Amino acid sequence: MPEFDPAAYAAQAAAAIGLPLDPAHLPGVAMNLGLAARMAALVETLPLGPAAEAAPVFVAGREKGR
Amino acid sequence: MSRFLSAAALAAEIRAGRRKAAEVVEERLADIAARNALSNAFTEVTAARARAEAAAVDAQVAAGRDPGPMAGVPVAVKNLFDLAGVTTLAGAKIERDSPPARADAFLVERMRQAGAVMLGALNMDEYAYGFTTENEHFGPCRNPHGRERIAGGSSGGSAVAVADGLVPITLGSDTNGSIRVPASLCGIWGLKPTYGRLSRRGAFLFAASFDHLGPFARDVADLALAYNALQGDDPLDHAQQWRGVEPVSAVAEIGGLRIAVADDHFARGGHAEAFAAVEAVARALGVTRRVTIPDAALGRAAAFLITMAEGANLHLPNLRRRPQDFDRATRDRFLAGALLPAHWVQQAQRLRAAYQAKALRLFDEVDVILAPATPYVAPRIGQDMIEVDGSRIPVRPNLGVYTQPISCIGLPVIAAPIAEPARIGTPEGLPIGVQLIAAPWQEARLFRLAAHLEKLGVCAAPEPKA
Repeated sequence: MPEFDPAAYAAQAAAAIGLPLDPAHLPGVAMNLGLAARMAALVETLPLGPAAEAAPVFVAGREKGR
Repeated sequence: MSRFLSAAALAAEIRAGRRKAAEVVEERLADIAARNALSNAFTEVTAARARAEAAAVDAQVAAGRDPGPMAGVPVAVKNLFDLAGVTTLAGAKIERDSPPARADAFLVERMRQAGAVMLGALNMDEYAYGFTTENEHFGPCRNPHGRERIAGGSSGGSAVAVADGLVPITLGSDTNGSIRVPASLCGIWGLKPTYGRLSRRGAFLFAASFDHLGPFARDVADLALAYNALQGDDPLDHAQQWRGVEPVSAVAEIGGLRIAVADDHFARGGHAEAFAAVEAVARALGVTRRVTIPDAALGRAAAFLITMAEGANLHLPNLRRRPQDFDRATRDRFLAGALLPAHWVQQAQRLRAAYQAKALRLFDEVDVILAPATPYVAPRIGQDMIEVDGSRIPVRPNLGVYTQPISCIGLPVIAAPIAEPARIGTPEGLPIGVQLIAAPWQEARLFRLAAHLEKLGVCAAPEPKA
């Protein structure tokens, strides 16, 4: 598996969402993506089964007179 | 006479007709005009509005009517709260191009109904994405306990305005620590209520999954006064879980409260003063019990990712069109946040739920958990790095190391200032605070404990030297 390359990823992902990236901003963006990757690796250390639902729960509506 | 007003005492004087709200407003406006340049707390002073509201309060008293529990109390809000007729900046140059707000934010309206008088809007990190209030567009906010030091953020102006005695009560927002961090660094009280307690309508969002609003004050009675006034049902904030008004009081009564100190994540990664502050409070209470909030570091990581993604998504149109107009401190974080793989964010939201379930079990055994609020006292403005445990690390993001795991799961927290920071050995006697953390919806327990700590003399807002 190739190592994560934040700068190369940033260029491709930015194109995918139509975000122009000034080359001058790329080092800072890559640095922050690298930091996020380390946070994501931490998050991955906790095993989660298929019953582990995401935190936000959509509420269809509130009862009248609430 | 102290230059620090007690909001509760002032409201009592005004309600009884012994003082005029109009005179208080003129005093505050003159003081802000004379001293705001020292701190750079206010970005907008709403003098005409304040005079009109004060006159209305005085007219009610003269007519024998009660203007409310905050009668004539001067207040101000972080500049992400809508004030009718004022452009909501949220710390951003970009927002200068936005039209003025058409109505007050819900919490601003609640305070007005309680008789408060609005003095203006306060400095902050751009779009609330920071812990320092070193705002590139509006200038850094300066700490009254050392003007070369940061106020903390992102609600830096809100903390400084209170710590410096410009107004007795302000409002801020807290997504990852933005009330608790500046409260700690400026040595005042701050409340981050339970997620979903107070309406956020009319406040500029940052990361909606974690966005909380709350008050700052110099004593527990004023914090309670503000919090009681802020509670109200708002069906238009979908995140609010309305339970009815649950008033709190500043009565020092901790009989039966089970209290413990957080260890593990909350006992490392900071300077000695952060832990000395917690120990000072624990010692005063006779608390020796330790508890571990499981997976707190993972919760912080999850909060980090979710914040990046939600914040960036909110600002993507401007990131596409005018990235050069963002503060350099936030721009690259927002740009990176827009690019996170969906898996990282979704996994973080699932971890958040699992982490919450584990953490809530702790409250079967304890009622309040003590933890550091910040890992060190206020760093110098412009300082990039700091040494912690033998490693040099970026000073700014690390300021939230102890607050992020708690707001991630929406627990209510009071940030309590150490009364005599020099006695616990803080560098230069600079302020520092402690987090008092309770189970969801248990703000009343926090207020009882806060009042007790104030009565013991271990927690109180230290006065700035100059």
